[in-house]
Parts: sequence; structure tokens; C-alpha cells
Amino acid sequence: MDFQAIHDRLRAVAAPGLVGADLPRKPDPKVKKDKGRAGDPFVIVEAQRLVEFLEVCRDDDRLKFEQLVDLSATDPAKDDAQLWINVQLLSLKFRHRLAIKCLLPKAAPSMPSTVPVYRASQWHERECAEMFGITFVGHPDPRNILLPDDWVGSPLRKDYEFPKEYHGISCE
Amino acid sequence: MTRETQSTPAASTRVQRLGAGELSVDIRTPDLEVNFGPQHPATHGVMRILMRADGELVTGAQPHLGYLHRCAEKIGENVEWLQYLPYTDRYDYLASMNNNLGYSLAVEALLGVEIPRRATLIRIICAELNRIGSHLVAFGTYGLDIGAFTPFLYTFREREWMMALFEKICGARLTYSYIRIGGLFNDAPPGWFEEVSRFCDVFEQKWQEYVDLLLVNQIYVKRTANIGIISREMALDFGLTGPMVRGSGIDWDLRRDMPYMCYDEIWRAGAFKIPVARGEMGALGDCWDRSWVRVMEMIESIKIVRWCLDNMVEGPVIADIPKTLKVPLGEAYVGIENPRGELGHYVVSDGGKVSIRTRVRGPSFCNLAVLEDILPGSLVGDAIAIIGSTDIVVGETDR
Repeated sequence: MDFQAIHDRLRAVAAPGLVGADLPRKPDPKVKKDKGRAGDPFVIVEAQRLVEFLEVCRDDDRLKFEQLVDLSATDPAKDDAQLWINVQLLSLKFRHRLAIKCLLPKAAPSMPSTVPVYRASQWHERECAEMFGITFVGHPDPRNILLPDDWVGSPLRKDYEFPKEYHGISCE
Repeated sequence: MTRETQSTPAASTRVQRLGAGELSVDIRTPDLEVNFGPQHPATHGVMRILMRADGELVTGAQPHLGYLHRCAEKIGENVEWLQYLPYTDRYDYLASMNNNLGYSLAVEALLGVEIPRRATLIRIICAELNRIGSHLVAFGTYGLDIGAFTPFLYTFREREWMMALFEKICGARLTYSYIRIGGLFNDAPPGWFEEVSRFCDVFEQKWQEYVDLLLVNQIYVKRTANIGIISREMALDFGLTGPMVRGSGIDWDLRRDMPYMCYDEIWRAGAFKIPVARGEMGALGDCWDRSWVRVMEMIESIKIVRWCLDNMVEGPVIADIPKTLKVPLGEAYVGIENPRGELGHYVVSDGGKVSIRTRVRGPSFCNLAVLEDILPGSLVGDAIAIIGSTDIVVGETDR
């Protein structure tokens, strides 16, 4: 299925938390300084209901997204109040992909863990948590994965400041 | 490097009287915690697995990563689009051509440029040659891990020629940065295609040697069959890709099922097949199946290279790309079939010279997660064989 068909199907089964879709578009010549948008289409989903949404994606017999390929986050800008959660799903049976985006407030980034639906997200969520300071509620093993246990700060946030020293070793 | 775990009770002996002159004695020893790594030859890099063992039986395994973390994703937000390319070489350093390709395709998806036909064909040749080189290391060192020293020397002999071919085309042996955004760094030197063709001829004969020497060798089969079994459901649930998923009997390859560049054309021409494990030497999804898939893939890659050589065209090798690249506003995810599985690049641009986000979905990272589940229950002696069969590159798990 192409993106439009997947989106229609998600609407038809009333997938929980589905907010809308964002499609790439050409620049509009009538609007001044409009740049359009390049790249892939994606659906926007409420972060707090992502788990139920993923369950529908995995179990619906016309969608059958058997694999969660990737789960990561993005900090779009320093003065942006929200973080993005980006999920990539893949269906081996129907050979289609789906990109999902959730918005999380930077002030209190917390959402339910998706590990009960796809175990693939276990390590992705650990990486996301340490790099962006996101709390995944109900994660079975919420330790740091790439960073040391005592690391301070969330390195992939845009407002992250590089540490001056680490355990008495100067980093400058 | 060992110590007794705090959680398990101290050694206790329980005696049960069964009958006249018969005793049942349950001797429990506390579990041992063994640090496997960080510097262990079988981890192929710097990785630590905290293993708990009850005698010869592994009862728990916890991989600890991050020893090779080099902030690749953060660097992506601080350098220009074209400048990031050399960093892609360094995550999966055994398949740098494929990494270059994955990143270039992701940025090109945003740019929407058309790549010259000659560049596409040379890209495929390089990617497939690099896949052969990567599988040669995987297969050779896997033999080394479980005690077969000689085949390792043979596989490295052929890999040496492959690296010499790359040295001729781009000047580097390991970190190429040859596949650029928009095409290639330069055209192939005179006589290069003829040498690649000779390499293919020689490799086919040598490949048969690996199969006879190692793959169907009884000792090798006994060491690898029926251990580290990954079921179909587990493979899907953990998001395994590449030879790991084909080793569990799932017929899936991005080159055929979600084709990029001109792989669909090559597939339609019937030039290559997708080897899928059938559990010939034991249970489906064991370590032997995974190494079988890798060995068979090498010969399929040779066929793809041959097809590209036969259908080579003249022309430019790079599209018209400005020196200071500005990428249109938007975001794209492109996944390609790396030797180890799906290498995904998720790039976000705000229309400027620097990316907002460069996310790398490394196949080794996802494939490694399954160890926590398949190691417990195996014997300590088999642990090395199981870890080796996942074929991880630590540069990519840690990025």
C-alpha cells in the first residue's frame, strides 16, 4: 500500500491517537517565501496513545507492520517547545513502510514505553532516554546504554552544553 | 575477573533420603558473574557482556555498550551535509561503501536529484564488492572464534584483493568516502572493470574452497548447528534484519522487496537470488544457518557485479551538485541493505547548510539486542559461537 492507502485504512479503523498526516508538497508560487516540503510523508500521533496506535498497526490484517525498524527523537530547534519522537514501521508481508511522528513537550518529556508492543524498541528507547532526557514509563530496563551511568545532561538536545571536565579530566 | 553475585544464596547442600542406602544430593553453587570483555578477541571490538554462569550453563547475559561511542549523530548536527560523509565511513568500518551509499541516498531523497546511470552502476559494484569483503571478515573471523585458524587467512587473502581494487578507484583501503551525494568522487581508472571481472572469476573458485574447507566441515557444523536458535517470531519482534532475519527462514531482502537504485532491474533480469536458510544442519535459525546465508550471499553479490559490468554505460559520474549544499526543508528516512542488515538514515533539514538531525539506525545495534535472550540457557563454550554468529561491528553499535 502507498502512504495514502495506509492513512485511509488507519482512519477507517479509527486508530487511537491518530491526529493527521503530513505530506511533502511543492512550493506554492502564490505564497511569498514558501519553500514547500521535501522528503517522506508521515502520520502524526498523540505521544500518550502511541502504544495503542502501534498495537493497531501491528495487528490489523491489512496493515501488518511486523517490525519496528527505528525509534528515535529529534530536537528541532533551541527555542522550540517540543521534541519529536520518530518511529519507522515496516511490513514484510505487504512491503510497505510507515513513518510516525509524535510531539512531546520539552518541559516534561514523558510517554509510555512501547516495549510491550515491539521488543525492538527496548534499546532504542534507552538510547532516546539518555540522549534527549525522555522518560519512558514502564520500560523494563531504564539504564543508560551508550553513555556512562553518571553522565549529566542530554547530549542531543540543542541546548546541551559540552562539559568542561569529566571526573577531574579536562575536556577543553 | 570473577566474583560471586550478591543476589544468589550461598552454597547449600540439600540431602534427601530416597530409600534404603540411596541418597539424593542437590549441590548448588552460587552463580558466577563473568565479565566477557571489554577486551576479548571474540567481541570483535570493545564490548563487554556481563555473563552469569551456573557451572557451564549461562543463566544471564547483559551487553554493555558505549566503549566506542564517538557522537556520530551529534557531529551530524554540527558539520555541513557534504562534510558528514567521512564520518559515515567510520560506523561500520567493514562496509564503508554501503554506509556512504545509505547517507547519500537519504540526502538525495531530500534533494530530488537524478543520479547518472554510470554512477549508479559503479555504486552497485562497489557496494556489492564491499559486501563480499564484509562477509569474508564475518565468516573468516567466525571460524577463528571457534578454533579454525587457517580459513581466516584464506578469506583475508581475497579481501586484500578487494581492498586493492578500492584503493585503485579511490585511494583508500578502508574508509573510502567514494560514493558522494549526487554520484561518485571520480570515474573508475582505465582497466579497473577488467580487473573486477578477473576478481569475480578467481573468487568463484576460491569461494568453493571456503564451502569445502569450513562451511560443511564436520567440526564446524558440530560447533554451530542447533545453538543460538532465533525463531521467526523473535526475529520479527526484535527488529532483526539482513542475514540474521534470513537465517531464521524469513524471505526478506530490501534489494528485492523495497528496491533502491536499479536493483529491481537486476532482480527482474534474474541475475541474483536471495538465499534463505532452511535449517539444513539442525534447527532453523541456528548459528550455522546464519553463516550459511552469509557465504551464499557472497556468490550472489558476484552475480550482481557481473550484471553491472555487462551493462555498463559511458557518461558522467556525478550530478551537478553545488560545493556548499543547501538541502530543501523536509525529512526523509532511507533504509538500505547493508551486509549486516538494514542501515537506516533519518535526516531532517530546515533548508540550511547543516542538518537538524542525522539519525543512524545501525543494523548491528538492533541485532545485538537479541543476545540478552538467546545467550541464557546455552553453554559457556557455545557463548562465543553465538556472539560471533550475530556478526556485529562495534563501531556501529556505539556510533
